[in-house]
Amino acid sequence: MTETVAIKADNLKKYFDDVKAVDGISLQAARGSVVALLGPNGAGKTTTINLLTTQLKPDSGTAEIMGYDVVKMANQVRCRVGITFQETSVDPALTGMQVLAFSGELYGMKRRDIKRKAADLLDMVELSEAARRKTATYSGGMKRRLELARSLMNTPEVLVLDEPTLGLDPQTRAKVWEYITHLKNEQGLTLLLTTHYMDEAEHLSDTVHIIDHGKIVCEGKPEDLIRGLGDETVKVTGAGDAEVFSARLEKQEYVQSLSRSDGESIHIGVDAGQKRLPQIVALAIETGFSVHEVGIERPSLGDVFFSATGREIRD
Amino acid sequence: MRTAWIIWKKYMKKMGAEEIIGMLIQPVLWVLIFSKGMASMMGAGMSGGEYLSFMLPGIMALTALGGAIGGGFTWLNERSTGLVREYWVAPVPRLGILLGNSVASVSKSMLQTLVIVAVGLTAGAAFSTSLVNVLGTIALVAAFGFGFGGIALSIASGTVNEGGYHSMIMLLNLPLLFLSNALYALSSLPGWMRVAAKINPTSYLVDGVRQLMMGRTGDFPLWLCFAVVAGFGMLFMIVAVVAFKKSQ
Repeated sequence: MTETVAIKADNLKKYFDDVKAVDGISLQAARGSVVALLGPNGAGKTTTINLLTTQLKPDSGTAEIMGYDVVKMANQVRCRVGITFQETSVDPALTGMQVLAFSGELYGMKRRDIKRKAADLLDMVELSEAARRKTATYSGGMKRRLELARSLMNTPEVLVLDEPTLGLDPQTRAKVWEYITHLKNEQGLTLLLTTHYMDEAEHLSDTVHIIDHGKIVCEGKPEDLIRGLGDETVKVTGAGDAEVFSARLEKQEYVQSLSRSDGESIHIGVDAGQKRLPQIVALAIETGFSVHEVGIERPSLGDVFFSATGREIRD
Repeated sequence: MRTAWIIWKKYMKKMGAEEIIGMLIQPVLWVLIFSKGMASMMGAGMSGGEYLSFMLPGIMALTALGGAIGGGFTWLNERSTGLVREYWVAPVPRLGILLGNSVASVSKSMLQTLVIVAVGLTAGAAFSTSLVNVLGTIALVAAFGFGFGGIALSIASGTVNEGGYHSMIMLLNLPLLFLSNALYALSSLPGWMRVAAKINPTSYLVDGVRQLMMGRTGDFPLWLCFAVVAGFGMLFMIVAVVAFKKSQ
């Protein structure tokens, strides 16, 4: 079992005073897979990452990376993990090449290997020409790419990317997606990434764990989670007795899933949106539910989050 | 030790032209302007060269304090910008990171001490240049630098507020310097200040260096100067290790 599992967490908990940052998270990632933690800001994604990468010690629960316990064998874990942090942090007083060389030295690499590896990685992230410039002169996207290169210096078996495209322009974002796909397909790395972008989780991950208030609220393959909601989602917002309206909807044979927020927003998974929309509106009128807004969308991971928590994914 | 070496190299590499120029010119200004000015006011009964020699150990102490403050500030800056996380996720001993930072700031103070000696000699100060005495002086300044470096790193590990850091440092820096024998003879101080100066490790550094470099009879035995300054260095490095571990 251990041989095929790269990341394993069992009932991890981390509290900061009254804040339950991580509240019993369990997950597994097979070697060579891409696992995404999707959730709003403050959901506990980064704390989970910090626990798995030995930056924090859990209050309870256990976790292993490549079979090594993150508390008892922290250095073994550190040797096998590469990480890019949520906030870009490269030393502005060093050049791109020096940043990578310093990282290589921290991981005990030989000088000759450092030079070769750094040159290869700078080439991969298209920063060879800027290698001898101080990173203070780099743009945000360049720093992000350099960080990605740095996280690969120690040839990790598990690569952890904390919000890898946060704050990037669409072009750089697409580039980072390209690198991640390359690392997965060509190098067989196990990737754990956190994101609050639904399209990112959907596009990049094999498995997604939706996390909220420190707990995993649902998990699975993105396409399975989405498919579970129906072929299309009709989103209705209005005022009135949403409970009665929902109860009537549930009895309709074309309704594949139904989720409701604490307010008066209802997401209805149906087989064919265009066809069912008039029927749904008619049902709303019949039950006295006043429709303010209605729309049809292909379900997304955002709808999965809504379905699991009753709330829209928020920033 | 390997980690300390890597961190030391990084900090030395990070020095920009401004830092190097400032680091080298600052001691020159202290020797040429401050000590000359002070000599005219306070050096009654001493020749210009004598007072300069008397002052130089104090300037060395001041320089070591400056170096330590710089080391603490570098650490504070790396904490507030998140650069330290690169260390935390690497398979390196935490003590090596602390040691690398401290050795880097002490190295810079050593360089400045050498500049002080060179400028002092040029300006007419008279002191011993025997290898043993120079090495003894370097050891004392280094131990003092580690001690105050430990204080600076402890403060820098407990805050991310630059203003708070500088306020705390100044609060400690001023009495360490002025409640000592760095600028005036211990015998000329009023009673309470003399007591304060006798429990201040700066006085032992300054007295030890005066004995080694000027051949003066000290206020304290030389062995005691070494013992107090070394103890100060070790004590606050231990305090720094504790603060450092807490900050992670």
